[in-house]
Amino acid sequence: MRDHGWIEELIVVRSLGGLDPQDEHELNREMVEHGAECSECRRLEAEYVGYEDAAGRLAFALDPVWVREGLEDQVVAAAIRDEPIVSVVSPAERRERRGARGPVLRPLVAVAASLVLFAIGWGAGALTSGDDVAVPPDARVVVFEGESDATLALAYRPGDRGVYLVGSLDPRPEDLAYELWTFRGDTPVRGGCFRPGADGSVFEFLDAEIEPTPLMAVTVESASCPSAPTTDPILIAQGSV
Amino acid sequence: MTLVEPAPEAPVAADLEEARDRDLLRRIGRADEDAFRELFRRYSPNAMALARRVVRQPFIAEEIVQEAFLAAWRNAKGYNEGRGSVRSWLMTMVHHRAVDAVRREESQRRRTEDAQAEDVLAVEDPADAVVAQLGLPEERRAVRAALGDLPAEQRQVIELMYFDGLSQSKVSERLGLPLGTVKSRTLLGMRRLRSALIEVER
Repeated sequence: MRDHGWIEELIVVRSLGGLDPQDEHELNREMVEHGAECSECRRLEAEYVGYEDAAGRLAFALDPVWVREGLEDQVVAAAIRDEPIVSVVSPAERRERRGARGPVLRPLVAVAASLVLFAIGWGAGALTSGDDVAVPPDARVVVFEGESDATLALAYRPGDRGVYLVGSLDPRPEDLAYELWTFRGDTPVRGGCFRPGADGSVFEFLDAEIEPTPLMAVTVESASCPSAPTTDPILIAQGSV
Repeated sequence: MTLVEPAPEAPVAADLEEARDRDLLRRIGRADEDAFRELFRRYSPNAMALARRVVRQPFIAEEIVQEAFLAAWRNAKGYNEGRGSVRSWLMTMVHHRAVDAVRREESQRRRTEDAQAEDVLAVEDPADAVVAQLGLPEERRAVRAALGDLPAEQRQVIELMYFDGLSQSKVSERLGLPLGTVKSRTLLGMRRLRSALIEVER
């Protein structure tokens, strides 16, 4: 049986998230061996509360980071509906992105493929992260084209709220955003604004409902997201795949 | 960019902030959407900063923040006031998820390389002055001061574990130190840190 000094060290490391699984297992085993009547162990457990609180406060040493517009509504909606959060990337995609540096410019086909992965399990909020399940037959995947190296594709299901975007676009200043448009006849209909990450990557959920449309477009607009486009499209998509 | 350091506030402010947080959490326990939104606005910039610092991928960090706030919504009634402040409880949920993500992805090497050039106390965040005013600036000042007062070798192991998500064995490998030394430095550092933070609140 280990002494209490050993236990205390591991308890403190645990408060920082620094225990390996085997350490965690060994710590728990030692605490059990010492037994519920071990007053020193109970004291150390009480001490752990203080260490855990101090560790949690370490987060505030960092400068806060601006949270993108729309995330609050997304989280609240998921909470109210008691749904899991929407994960827009598969494990394979995560691994790929983790290995990437700087802007990720991938072929349009790859972008569409990644959309296929995260379109999986859309229904009933049961989005899964597996790689080998079938795409819902009614999910629409749309690939945009443009003159630059930008890549963008989206997935949606007619009749459901939610549009998933993935791709790589040039980052823009804070006062600008990309805006998605569908068309009713010749009239553009807002599909929502979005911004790429600092590396240009786009993994975005728009809380919007769009219907099948022969044409979609993306423009660069002011961050206020105007109700009608004010610039020419930089990307367009016709039909769906 | 110059880091904006706010003017010191009275210690009682921390108590008021905590009382407000606890009230928010009680309301969230009754499914009060407005309270949930307020908690999110109040702490999501800090949560995002922490998640990004640990996982170093904005899109994964965003997922972690979402998961943590959803957990707060679902488990608000399970919060135990005897186990620390609301803000610490919330950040612990973010941190656990971030560390889990790091361990799952098994990609510490690249992040560690990135981290070598980054020191929590020295880095100037790209956030502008307005953003720097968010997220309990007084708390930021106090925690930074407490960290800064630690001996460098103690601060180093704490930062590697907490901000880089390294396990004690990885810290040991990284620094070329015996595991026992890592553990003892962590213990000494956390004792000092905890005492300093408690002192600030008095």
